[in-house]
Amino acid sequence: MSRPRIATASLAGCFGCHMSLLDLDERILELAELVEFDRSPIDDYKEFQERCAVGLVEGGCANEENVATIREFRKKCDVLVSVGDCATMGGIPAMRNLVPLEECLQEAYVDGPTVHNPSGLPPGDPELPRLLDRVYALHEVVDIDWHLPGCPPSPEAFWAAVSALLSGEPAELPPSLIRYD
Amino acid sequence: MNTTKRVVIEPLTRVEGHGKVTIKLDPAGAVESARLHVVEFRGFERFIQGRPYWEIPVAVQRLCGICPVSHHLAAAKAMDGIVGVDQVTPTAEKIRRLMHYGQIFQSHSLHFFHLSSPDLLFGFDSDPARRNVLGVAGAYPELARQGILMRKFGQEVIRATAGKKVHGTGAIPGGVNRSLTTAERQELASEIPQQKEWARTAVGIARDYTLDNLGFAAEFAAFPSNHLGLVRRDGTFDLYDGVLRAVNSAGKKILDDVEVDRYADVLIEEVKPWSYMKFPFLRELGPETGWYRVGPLARLAVCDRIGTPEAEAARVEFVEAMGGVPGTMSLAYHWARMIETLSALEEIERLLDDPDIEGDELVLQGERRNEAVGVIEAPRGTLFHHYVVADDDTVMRANLIVSTTSNNEPMNRAVESVARKYLSGTEITEGLLNHVEVAIRAYDPCLSCATHALGKMPLVMEVHDAEGRIVGEGRRSA
Amino acid sequence: MSESFTFYIDGVPVEAQPGMTILEAAQGAGIWIPRLCWHEDLEPFGGCRVCTVKANGRPCSACTQPAEPDSVVENDTPQLREWRRALVELLFAEGNHFCMICEKSGNCELQALAYRLGIAAPRFEHHWKPREVDASHPDVLIDRNRCILCARCVRASRDLDGKTVFGFTGRGPDRRVAVSSAARLADTDLEVTDAAMDVCPVGALVRKREGFSVPIGSRRFDDAPIGSDIEASGAAEPARQEE
Repeated sequence: MSRPRIATASLAGCFGCHMSLLDLDERILELAELVEFDRSPIDDYKEFQERCAVGLVEGGCANEENVATIREFRKKCDVLVSVGDCATMGGIPAMRNLVPLEECLQEAYVDGPTVHNPSGLPPGDPELPRLLDRVYALHEVVDIDWHLPGCPPSPEAFWAAVSALLSGEPAELPPSLIRYD
Repeated sequence: MNTTKRVVIEPLTRVEGHGKVTIKLDPAGAVESARLHVVEFRGFERFIQGRPYWEIPVAVQRLCGICPVSHHLAAAKAMDGIVGVDQVTPTAEKIRRLMHYGQIFQSHSLHFFHLSSPDLLFGFDSDPARRNVLGVAGAYPELARQGILMRKFGQEVIRATAGKKVHGTGAIPGGVNRSLTTAERQELASEIPQQKEWARTAVGIARDYTLDNLGFAAEFAAFPSNHLGLVRRDGTFDLYDGVLRAVNSAGKKILDDVEVDRYADVLIEEVKPWSYMKFPFLRELGPETGWYRVGPLARLAVCDRIGTPEAEAARVEFVEAMGGVPGTMSLAYHWARMIETLSALEEIERLLDDPDIEGDELVLQGERRNEAVGVIEAPRGTLFHHYVVADDDTVMRANLIVSTTSNNEPMNRAVESVARKYLSGTEITEGLLNHVEVAIRAYDPCLSCATHALGKMPLVMEVHDAEGRIVGEGRRSA
Repeated sequence: MSESFTFYIDGVPVEAQPGMTILEAAQGAGIWIPRLCWHEDLEPFGGCRVCTVKANGRPCSACTQPAEPDSVVENDTPQLREWRRALVELLFAEGNHFCMICEKSGNCELQALAYRLGIAAPRFEHHWKPREVDASHPDVLIDRNRCILCARCVRASRDLDGKTVFGFTGRGPDRRVAVSSAARLADTDLEVTDAAMDVCPVGALVRKREGFSVPIGSRRFDDAPIGSDIEASGAAEPARQEE
């Protein structure tokens, strides 16, 4: 019987949640015996290879590429988990939701003491994904099955979550593993 | 077929952050251009305005989950200036140094073992199914385990000093909020002998890889450059504090003994339309020739010596292998990085042996100032934090030049060099595309960090909500 | 001469004196009823509704409802827990709570309550309405992004300090804490030593420059869930803290 597949991604996040997952230390090797990793920043699969049992996504949606990615994850993953405060509520990137958009546009990098901008234009190349009007938590964009809060969630919280999900248990995170900071 | 072909590597994997590479090929299949685009930004410099200054060292850590300590400490050093403290207590400095060396140790270990080793051990075009840390664990279980445990040790040092492994709160304006207990000190010190053995092994692996492939490394993304880093006044390597020094490709000093407060006099960042990451260069040399490398290769280029014995011996060997001048080989970053890892461990050992690390004089206060700069050598290079704080204690302005940003031009040159050499006029395979990524990975880029700033907006901005509907538009004139 | 009487909370007999509220009696018996706006030194306000219990089948705020002989009170039931979770989630969705950078994190009653109620993420859409920060006072800061309108500062300033530094203004989603009749905190007679400075359950009203001086691990709720001190003090069995 093939092992369940796990995919991960970091959207508008800082990778701290992935680092906390790696803070499982040797237990990552135990995990690797139980699962196969599909697309993830820590391997070279840039696209989904197969349907996955679990998707772990950190970071909220700040641009159109993030939206496309989370929708792909929703399509390809049986269980989709929003990992970390950026994914569950927007996190620090969502602090830009409190700044008027007009001011964002005006705060281009011409005022900084170390800016050299010969064209006077901000970057606008089509290769750059367009920004959304605000930063969104993941459950505001797709249906999310499970939330794992924290900044980042502790390795113990990761372990409890992944163990429960892989065994198909309905799980509620115990209060001792819920943290927002 | 007589159209330009566009090849995209997206997303970059086994790097931190979000980047993509676009390669344009002419109808004959020759590489016309290759660019590294950094595609994310958050807006820290704007949204921390109005926040109280004591929140900033904790807030700016969220720029990056691999090197949060760098931002935490750079911001804390700047806030020391804001509260009028030019020199923190011995305990505070040593706790912060311990935190920093712990971070260097874990970040460099992560980069070498978890992110880069698959390419170096299996080959750049090996099977992608196994070209990752778990593949390394399968083929070289002891080595993978060592890498994991080295990173774990660094993280434990961070947890003891900052309070958490990722995004702690240990460094505060004017000092720190905790020191070590005797138990913590002894626990960490007991691991040093094993960690040292592993760190020496790591230096050996990186050294052997470079020397065994010297001819190849001299051709792969190898090019001369200027180099920038911090050194102590006497020229000794120091990752926590110092003055700015830059050397050219011949090793001649172009900047020396520059106080970090004056960073804006000597550095400037150019904006280009196709990346959210800016392009710093040394003002006096201009954008064409003023770009420079930062990070391990550069730090070994600018310093006169390393102050810890084993790392110093390794550095001497390194410099000799480079031909006595600053390194030109992107791949040599790995060896330089492991030498720094060994040095960080030697420093950790010294600090754990120092009774000040258990001291209880943690924080000082002086006369409030309104502007300050904090600079540190993050794992990836020189990091600048600059804040202006109003009389009511809220932040008015922030300017951050983040390490990886300085490597933007070098990485773009590396990408272009490798793309031209390997992708021109041939069938483009996954393995060949990975060659391009290997060149980028050598710089250990932290792409999240590099795109903190707000304001990198299209001239005409269409604002879409998550459903793709246009909800706003903005224009900015030239 | 007052006569004590007995009533029942979740089937447990609880002794009370005439004039006691359900919450006060529960407190004395070591039973924790979740609450936010209640404070032992202040008149009850009944504003947050987190202490909602069912007394003889009727929902009411335990902090204001007098205890009555032989009444049957439900406290720790799935329905009440669900109501309280929704209330707390609404508070998070209404304000701008960035726990990860807040100096009150680890000492915050709102946060600790959310942990104990098992809230992983608020289900409601965030308002993202920017709220004012008043840093005008030399020693005190108000960050209204974090204010939950519990009125503890209003009551404390009035009843304990004999001042009227704080008051509510505005209606509905625009309701906020204003400072006396002045525009800024700096223009009031608030002092950093006032009792009003010690009652804020969240990081809205803070003394300046304290920041993160308490390390992680030494904060009030780092090791013990909210309510555990009440449960430890009384005769009753501590409520289950893990699910």
